[in-house]
Amino acid sequence: MSDDRKDPDILLECRHITKSYSGHVVLRDVDFSMKRAEVHALVGENGAGKSTMIKIITGVTPRNSGEIVFDGHEIPIDHSKQAALDLGIAVIYQELSLIPGLTVAQNIYLGKEPLRAGLRLINHRKMNADAQTLIDQYGFPLKATSPIETLSIAHRQLVELLKALSTNAKLIIMDEPTSCLTSTESSQLFEIIHQLRANGVSVLYISHRMEEVYALSDRVTVLRDGKLVAVLDKEQITPAEIIRLMIGRALEVDETKRRMVKKQGEAVLEVKDLTSVGRFYDISFKLVKGEILGIAGLVGAGRTEIVRAIYGIDPYDSGAVLFDGKAYKPSVNKAIASGFGFVPEDRRQQGILGIISMTRNIGLTNLDQVSKASWVRDGKEMALCHLGIDLLKIKPNDPDINVGNLSGGNQQKVVVGKWLVRNLKVLIIDEPTAGIDIGAKEELYATIEHLAEEGVSVICVSSDLPELTRLANRILVLREGRIIKEFSEGSVTEEEVLRASSGILEGGNHDNQ
Amino acid sequence: MTINKVLKRFRLLFVLLLLMVVLSFLSPYFLTQQNLSNVLWSVCVIAIMCCGAIYAPITGGIDLSVGAVAALSGIIANYMMNVLGLPLWLSLVITLAAGLLIGLLNGVVTAKFRVPAFIVTMAAMTWLYGIAMVISQGSMITILQPAGFLVIGGGKLLGFPVPIYIMVVCVILSHLLLRYLTYGRRALAVGANDVTAKLSGIDPDRTRIGAYMLSSFTAALAGIVLASLSQQAYAGAAKGIELAVITALVVGGTSLAGGSGSVLGALVGALIVGFIENGLNLLNIPASYHPIVTGVVILLALILNTGVERPKWLHMPARSTKEPAKAGVPS
Repeated sequence: MSDDRKDPDILLECRHITKSYSGHVVLRDVDFSMKRAEVHALVGENGAGKSTMIKIITGVTPRNSGEIVFDGHEIPIDHSKQAALDLGIAVIYQELSLIPGLTVAQNIYLGKEPLRAGLRLINHRKMNADAQTLIDQYGFPLKATSPIETLSIAHRQLVELLKALSTNAKLIIMDEPTSCLTSTESSQLFEIIHQLRANGVSVLYISHRMEEVYALSDRVTVLRDGKLVAVLDKEQITPAEIIRLMIGRALEVDETKRRMVKKQGEAVLEVKDLTSVGRFYDISFKLVKGEILGIAGLVGAGRTEIVRAIYGIDPYDSGAVLFDGKAYKPSVNKAIASGFGFVPEDRRQQGILGIISMTRNIGLTNLDQVSKASWVRDGKEMALCHLGIDLLKIKPNDPDINVGNLSGGNQQKVVVGKWLVRNLKVLIIDEPTAGIDIGAKEELYATIEHLAEEGVSVICVSSDLPELTRLANRILVLREGRIIKEFSEGSVTEEEVLRASSGILEGGNHDNQ
Repeated sequence: MTINKVLKRFRLLFVLLLLMVVLSFLSPYFLTQQNLSNVLWSVCVIAIMCCGAIYAPITGGIDLSVGAVAALSGIIANYMMNVLGLPLWLSLVITLAAGLLIGLLNGVVTAKFRVPAFIVTMAAMTWLYGIAMVISQGSMITILQPAGFLVIGGGKLLGFPVPIYIMVVCVILSHLLLRYLTYGRRALAVGANDVTAKLSGIDPDRTRIGAYMLSSFTAALAGIVLASLSQQAYAGAAKGIELAVITALVVGGTSLAGGSGSVLGALVGALIVGFIENGLNLLNIPASYHPIVTGVVILLALILNTGVERPKWLHMPARSTKEPAKAGVPS
């Protein structure tokens, strides 16, 4: 039918892909191709159709029309996930799908365990040996026999990757692989991606982080509103250009915002020598009214643990917290009553009630506001929800929609929104924009800045360095549970923060920054 | 679209009506006042239990001990009234308090010791049965007095059986509790995601303990009604009723995965369960076949409900949260 199919350089060729869900078109006549041994980024705002495209390629959802040729094989409309895997298409999802109780090897060979002849029992020795060979081939710091639950998120991701590689995948699709990784871990991943490419594997890379796309990709395909906008070659790729194509306009980056200005004033919150053995030690800082305090550090440096202790979720061993100058014993209820808000790092597991409506989600945190003598006023709850929708431009603006059905960015807006409708004094926000597209990110930044202008103090924990340098008046850098550096005035570069968080000596200049 | 919505919203009622129409064709006896009031009488016990028992699945658990609590409470009530000779009101208060205490135990073990509710309440089912056997000395007790006690289950007021009034009051209170009181919101939140609930200042443990107390309380109340209605109390009095309660809840749209449920739905569910049972009797289907039908109904209800409220265990590990593959939700 086509000549491209015979082009040996092309691994994947999608033509005129169209897909709609009950009348709502999500992909319209999209062409997409990937070469062999290529790192190709697929970018677009939330709802642009990236995930649907991947679902179609991997056989999760059938397409309505269009043709796909992979490695010389015509892919039928109703091909299955298994068929895609057998052809050599593997996906590594944002949310990892490993079984925590099993070992690295057991996870890698799940469903394809080597069997002994005869009784067909699992040959554990061979499985472990094979897994270790695979691990060593890529030089990953893993042991075949470690249980998954003992591994960090970053290492789990490596296991996912090995799982894909063990099937001899020709195309590995990575959906937001760095959203849970620190900068160092990310740059390790990038090296691995380069290594994969050198081994002839193609990587389809999905990310909201433009620097990564810029640093990694050989080509970039941009989708907008379900349509193909552009395919850029290496030399055409610049972050600004990609963003312009994605959102259809140029994004103004206010350069002055990158200079930190120290806020003066009364301390709203003061933390003195806070210690929780094994988690963090001697943490002291003052949070001034209207200040945005950034907390940087690698994952596991104790960032989340500190804010959880201040909010009153976890206990601490020693030290003191002062709120409005008075001694304060943290507890979640007292925190909420005193005007704290807390946006946790894991939106799905800790932030939202997915199967419950937006109104109820927002109402829950504000039961004190919407109820009188334990009696909930539906009208007040609804009004509060509408206020949240208006403040944060939550889409769709349907108060009855279950929050689990919203896009990631809008879910995060609900999580932030349920605090904004209160009389807030301190907002603690952990990884505010993880897994959120650029447009929603900017809106959230604007919201946070606006809050600070209104006198709310914000503690912002983030792995996203541009985010911190963009937002914060002051940045505390944690390493191994201690504050090892404070950046408070003048300009700071991401590199400086990164160096501090990874221990100044070893801090090299990472090419992705 | 709106017709669809109406159909969806009230689909249970339509199922109930359809069932009644079918049964009235199958059996001429079905639509007689005698039969209908018999059904209502039996439905009352289940529906009263549902009013409290619904909070267990809503908070993400389950209560299998409601039948044992009901049987025991009949025996306790009789013991207080006819062995110790306490006045009726005091006997009832003690019986209901015993119900609350059992719920407290179930709740504390479930919430504080992190033992799955399934196991805790199954154990409770067993030890409560044992206590009932001990107090009743293993015999079937016939309750013929006090007269006031017999009115609770068997009396009529303005032409309607007294249990119906009890049921209606329970349904209204439970509906208000779930729908309009902060406890209801907290229970739903804990069932939907207890970490989120905790970060919103809700104490999941207390909420759960409250759920099991409510559950045992209405079970004890239903047990009083049952003992009064049947004029007897024995350890096996309400055997298997927990399954009927769970069936009614599930048919009524309560998710066993937590976070959603409706008291009015449970009432309709109880009616559907009651009419199915009644239909089987009217059609002279041997009693040994009834559990098969009950089992199939639970499965069907679960399957149908997943189309509307997908329980957590049916969720694939949500793969792409950024772009929900749902029409009408463009981000």
